[in-house]
Amino acid sequence: MNVTVNGVTHEIEGGPLTPLLDVLREELGITGPKAGCHQGSCGACTVLVDGEPRRACLIPSVYAEGKEITTVEGLGTPEDLSAIQEAFIHHYAAQCGFCTSGMMVAAKAYIDRGGTDDPEAIQEALGGHMCRCTGYAKIIEAVSAAARGDSFDLTTTAVGKYTTMTTGGAE
Amino acid sequence: MKVVGARIPRYDGVAHVTGRTTYVDDVRIPGTLWVKALRSPVHHAAITKLDTRPAEEMPGVSAVITWEDVPHLVYGPLEALGIPADEPLLAKDEVRYKGQPIALVAARDEATAAEAVSRIEIEFDERPALFDVRQAFDADCPVIHQEGNWYTHFEDDMDRRQIRKGDIAWAFENADTIVQGVYRPAAIEHAPIETQVCQVVPEPSGRLTIYSCTQALYFSMGVVAAHLQVPLNKLKVVGGTTGGGFGGKVDTATETMCCLLAMKSGRPVKWRWTREEEFLCSSTRAPWHMEIADAVTKDGWILGRKMLTLHDAGAYSRFSPYGLTKHSFHHTGAYTIPNLEFDGYVVYTNRVPTTAMRGFGVTSVSFAVETHMSRVADVLGLDPIEIRLKNANRVGDTSPNGVVYTDPSTVPTIQTIAEAIGHELPADYRTMTSEQRSGEWLPEHLVAQLGNPEDH
Repeated sequence: MNVTVNGVTHEIEGGPLTPLLDVLREELGITGPKAGCHQGSCGACTVLVDGEPRRACLIPSVYAEGKEITTVEGLGTPEDLSAIQEAFIHHYAAQCGFCTSGMMVAAKAYIDRGGTDDPEAIQEALGGHMCRCTGYAKIIEAVSAAARGDSFDLTTTAVGKYTTMTTGGAE
Repeated sequence: MKVVGARIPRYDGVAHVTGRTTYVDDVRIPGTLWVKALRSPVHHAAITKLDTRPAEEMPGVSAVITWEDVPHLVYGPLEALGIPADEPLLAKDEVRYKGQPIALVAARDEATAAEAVSRIEIEFDERPALFDVRQAFDADCPVIHQEGNWYTHFEDDMDRRQIRKGDIAWAFENADTIVQGVYRPAAIEHAPIETQVCQVVPEPSGRLTIYSCTQALYFSMGVVAAHLQVPLNKLKVVGGTTGGGFGGKVDTATETMCCLLAMKSGRPVKWRWTREEEFLCSSTRAPWHMEIADAVTKDGWILGRKMLTLHDAGAYSRFSPYGLTKHSFHHTGAYTIPNLEFDGYVVYTNRVPTTAMRGFGVTSVSFAVETHMSRVADVLGLDPIEIRLKNANRVGDTSPNGVVYTDPSTVPTIQTIAEAIGHELPADYRTMTSEQRSGEWLPEHLVAQLGNPEDH
């Protein structure tokens, strides 16, 4: 059986009923999707299947055969961040980071299907995702910003370019 | 000021948003065995039979451990202070909470480990179980802990955390009214999205490399070393990345057992708790039972407070005495009460052991104190904001444990809140400051408690 993850096609050995999450994490070593509950409750394992957010812990891998899987690793790299990733950094929307992978792919799906910066609509779209650090407000701000197409001055936040304690912030 | 007001990026922000942060569960080690635990299915029982041979004989099983494999079985975080330990790493003769670990299996995969656990033969003789901290404190209650139903190792072998300040009898004799209340916040599960997880690699050098989600790395290192009876230089702990903890990852819940399995099997091992285990077996914030009686005057001064606190430790003491001590120091909240009689007990029940959680010991008492302040105002027919300002900590006031406040922020905080909610205050409350008491804010009963802020 073949699955395509972030544009790369893999031949997999796991049986057809092996959860996609286990195939991704244990067989392919793609660890962005997290195993928070293994019962479809927390949303940390969410991936895109042909652009639609799905709980990787609940779907049998056979369901993913021939489809395009996108994980958080497929959204952008540290050197070439996508808009939603920039927004999450800029708005401090990741605290411990464990729910972030699922939040971001769900947010990407929301924006790709024309989602606006309406906080209520974003809450609805991300409603199945748990954040126990209670960062929901910042997450919703980040998704709003990305949905609006805000551009960020990442000189204060991008890798290697930010202000530090020695180079100074506010005096 | 280089940092206050500056936009400092999270050092781990880019890794988080690109899926590159390596949590413990993401560490890839070839040949790793999976760990599963046999946990007590009952709340309180004697173990009458434990036979792990059916699990050991199963193909694919590399190691099984029980209490017999632990070099130093019973350990307590306060042992270094001379306080006797009370909790075995793995249950020996009895289980005292549902979910308590009894035996662990390391096997080639998760399913094999789970199957092996189900083959372990175990029998129990069930005993009565206690779930309510107030009931466990009753004199005629069944005893569930080897030392009795509450902790007995406060200073000078006292069985309670006790505070006496001023003249409590005077306060209650001179009060216009006594206002009482009972407050019982419930247990709270930390519920981090990352469940407890650990990986241990036995190195050729004889050292153990421990990948841990601990919030308290050096602390966990000490706990592991104590149980294993090895020097610290045999342990290399890799931590610093925690998928949510909130205090629940201060206890060393997995590392020691994984080390024992790695040593016994000679293989790397990994133990990741299921969501059910995280909810049912991991420690929680403690439930509390708090009784407050305030001696008050009709114009809103609190002359004295009597308080009884029962802190539910669950089955073992762990950090509960520390939590209760913090609690006792804060039992007047942000307010100055000159005459105090506080007794706090760490009480055992058959709930999961309780532990640190965001401000532990203090959130419970803050809930009780603030609710009680509003109750006092309600009983007296006074304004709840004014009564708080009147009794608010000021420079020179003293805390329950005798600390002189040098920079208390209660007054401006309450004034800000009043403004934010549109609550009109009379001029003398609006212009009040944190400066040392004088005039109408220094009634006779508050004179003796004043300290000299210069001394602190």
